[in-house]
Amino acid sequence: MGVSTNSPVHPKSASTEIQAAKAKALTVIRATETSASSPISKPSSPGEDGGERDLAEELNAQTRARYKKGKLLGEGTYANVFLGHDTTSPNTLVAIKKTKKLDSFKDGMSIDTIREIRFLQELKHPNIINLMAVFSSKDQNVNMVIELLPRGDLKTIYYRGADAKGPEVSYTGADIKAWMAMLMRAVWFCHEHFVMHRDIKGDNLLIAADGSLKLADFGLARSFADPGTRMTPEMVTSFYRPPELFLGATHYSAAVDIWSCGIVLGELVKRDYWVPGHTDLEIFTRITEVFGSPSEANWPGVTKLPNAPLINPSDDSAPRPPGMPTEQWNREFGQLGPIGIDLLRSMTSLDPRKRPTAKQILAHDWFRTAPAPTKTELLPQAGGGGGPVKMAEDLKRKPGEAPSDGRADKVARKIDFGSMKK
Amino acid sequence: MSRAVQRPGGAAPKRTEITDDGGEFHSYFDSPELRNVHKTDKTSDICPVCKSSRYLNPQMKFLVNPECYHKMCESCVDRIFSSGPAPCPIAGCRRTLRKAKFRAQTFEDVFVEREVDIRRRVAKVFNRCEEDFETLLDYNDYLNDVEDITYNLINGIDVEASEKKLQGYAEANRQLIDDNENRARKAATTYAARQAQVKEQSRLRREANMREEERERQERLEGQRNIINQLASRDGDAEQIVREGQIGLKRRHKTAIPDRRKPSASATKAEDGKLLYRGLKKKTEVEPERPFSPYAGLRIANEYSVVQDHYDAPWLSFAWQDERYLAGGFKIGDFYSRVFSEAFAGLSVFVDEEVAGRNLTGSFSATEGAVAAADQDVNMSDDIF
Repeated sequence: MGVSTNSPVHPKSASTEIQAAKAKALTVIRATETSASSPISKPSSPGEDGGERDLAEELNAQTRARYKKGKLLGEGTYANVFLGHDTTSPNTLVAIKKTKKLDSFKDGMSIDTIREIRFLQELKHPNIINLMAVFSSKDQNVNMVIELLPRGDLKTIYYRGADAKGPEVSYTGADIKAWMAMLMRAVWFCHEHFVMHRDIKGDNLLIAADGSLKLADFGLARSFADPGTRMTPEMVTSFYRPPELFLGATHYSAAVDIWSCGIVLGELVKRDYWVPGHTDLEIFTRITEVFGSPSEANWPGVTKLPNAPLINPSDDSAPRPPGMPTEQWNREFGQLGPIGIDLLRSMTSLDPRKRPTAKQILAHDWFRTAPAPTKTELLPQAGGGGGPVKMAEDLKRKPGEAPSDGRADKVARKIDFGSMKK
Repeated sequence: MSRAVQRPGGAAPKRTEITDDGGEFHSYFDSPELRNVHKTDKTSDICPVCKSSRYLNPQMKFLVNPECYHKMCESCVDRIFSSGPAPCPIAGCRRTLRKAKFRAQTFEDVFVEREVDIRRRVAKVFNRCEEDFETLLDYNDYLNDVEDITYNLINGIDVEASEKKLQGYAEANRQLIDDNENRARKAATTYAARQAQVKEQSRLRREANMREEERERQERLEGQRNIINQLASRDGDAEQIVREGQIGLKRRHKTAIPDRRKPSASATKAEDGKLLYRGLKKKTEVEPERPFSPYAGLRIANEYSVVQDHYDAPWLSFAWQDERYLAGGFKIGDFYSRVFSEAFAGLSVFVDEEVAGRNLTGSFSATEGAVAAADQDVNMSDDIF
C-alpha cells in the first residue's frame, strides 16, 4: 500500500479536475487525497490498473470485512472511536479506533500510531489492552480493533473532576492494593520485555467488564534505548512526569514509569491530582515542595543534567523546599499504612536509581499485609460512568495530553491548530 | 434365583396346565390346592405340616420360603431344614428349600408377598433415578421397560427372556447399580438424621415455650400480689396504685419479650452445636483464600543466558561513567539483558511446528499470525524486541 502523492493521474481524479477550475486550492488537496487512496478505495476490482491485489491487500480486505463498524462513540482531532463487532462471532463487541490521516504528519501517519501498533501487537497480558487486529480503510486511515472495555477508566473512579460532578465511588485500601497490583503487573510485563510505557496515568488505565485493569495507550511507548541513543525527555503527561525528565535527561530508564505509578497510587488515596500545575515549571516547583529539592546530596549527578539551571545549583540563596515532612505523609496517606507509605515514598524517589523496579514492587510486603487485595470481580465500579463512551474518550486522546480541566487550557485547547491546517 | 430360569419353554401363558413336577411357576400359583391352603390359613392358625395350633403353642410363628411360599411353623422349619436343603414337606410340592431363605410373611396374601418380592428384586437392579436422565420422556421410557420386565416376571409371561434381560442388565451395570445403591442409602440416612434433628428441635422449642409461659404466669401473679400489697400498705388513690402496678406489669412483660426469643433461637441449635435450617440449598465448598500472587501465574525467565553486572566493554564505558547517564537513571544492566535476550530470541521457536499449525487453521491472515505468535510469547522465556 504505497502512499505516493505523485502517482499517475487516475480516471477517478480526472473528474475532480473539472472542479479544479472553480476552487483551485481545495482541489489540490482533494486530488492528492484521491490519488493517494485509489489503490485501496477500489480494492475489489482487480485488473483496473492491470494487476491482481497483492497478498497484503488481500489480507487487509479480509480483516476489514471481519470487523464491522457500528456507531460512533467519540470523535477527536486525532482519532475517531467506533463501536464494532466481529462478524465471525457477533457477540464479541470491539472498539475500533480509526486514526485520522493528518497532513501534519510526514507520511500521513503519526508516530504514536506506529508505536501503539508495534507494541500492542507484541505485548499480550491480561492487564494490557488487547489489540485484536489492524487494518486500513479507504483514505489510508489506520483502524485498530481493540477489545471493548466498557467500564471507563480508573480516573473516573478516583477523581470526580474539578467541579466534583463525576460519579462518587467509594473504595477501600484493599481496592487500591488490587488496582496497584494489576497496574504493576502490566508495567512489570512491559519492562520485562524492555518496553517503557512513558504515559502511565489514571486515564490510560481502562477497566474491563470483569473489573480488571488494562493498561492502554502505548502512543508514547518505546523500547529501552541503546547507550548513546538519545531519548526525548518531553514524554509522559506533565502531571505524571518524573523529575529527571523535567531536568531534561536524555538517557533514562524504566524508572520513569515507576514514578508515574507512584503518582497514580498517591492520587488514588488523595482522590485528586497530586502534583498539578498549568506550566511545567509550576509542576516542577510543586514536585520540589512535595518530594524535596534535588541536590548533589540526594541525587548524585543531578547538576550535570541539561536543565539543571532550573534548580539553581550554584545559587545558595535560592529557595530549597525540603519536601513534605513525615507527619504530613502519614496524615495524607494513612490509608496505605506505614508499609504502604514506605513503598509510595520509594516509588517517588527523586533519584531514579533509588526507585524500586516493578518486580521489586510486586515483591513488596505491602501486597502481603492485611488487608489483602480485593478480588477483581468485587472491585467497585463507577456507577453510570460513561461506559464505552468513556473508553472512546480515552482512546481518541492524543498521548501525553495534560488533563483538560485546568483553567488555562479551557482557552488554549479550544483552538485546534492541527485541524485548521487541513 | 427363581426356578423359572432353569425351566425351558416358559414362553406362553399356561394358566390351566399343571404338570407333575408342579408345573409352570405361574400356573402352580394358580392351582386350587394353594388357593385352599391360603384360604384355610386365613381362618385357622394351624401349621399345615405338624398340625399344631396356636391354641397349644401361643408363641407359634409361621414362616414362608420365597421358592414356593408354603407356610409352616418355625419348629417345623428347624426340624426339617436344619440338616441341609430338603424338599418342601407340603404334598405335591417338591421344591428344594433352604433354611436360610425362610422368613416371616409380611402380607397375608402370598400372591402379594410374591409380587413384592419380585418387585424388590427388579428394583434393586434397575435403581436409576430421574436425575440420571436428560428428559422426563427418557425416564418414562426407562420406567416403562422396567415395568414390562416386572410384569412379565410376576405374571409368568416370557419369564426366561425377562430374566435374561434382568441378568444382562445387572452384569453390565454392576458398578453403577452399586453406586446408586450407596447414594440411596446415604440419602436415606441423612434424611433420617435430619428428621430426628428437626424433631428434637421442635421438642426443645416446645419445652422452652412452656417454660416461658410458666415464667410469665408467675410474673403476672406476682405483679397482682404486689398491687394488692401496695393497696394494703400505701395510702393514696387506690386507682392510681392499680394503674401504676399495671404499667409496671406491662413494662416487665415488654422486657421479657427478647428473653422469649432467646430459647427459641437456641432451639434451632441441635445437640452437637450445629445450626440446622430446613429448605437450605446445598452449598458448594468455598475455595480457601489464596495468597497474593505477584505475577498472577506468569513467569518470564531467561533460560539461555546469565547476565553479569559488568562487562569489560570500553566502547560502552561512557554509559556507566557519564553522570548524565547515571543521574538520568539509565541502567546499563537493562541494555545487557536486552542484548542477550535478542541474541537468543529465536532459540525456542520451532518453525516446523508453526508451519504445521498454520495448515490446520484454514484461512491464515497476517494479523492473526502476529497475534498468535505474540500469544505464545507470554510463556516464552525471552521476547522479540
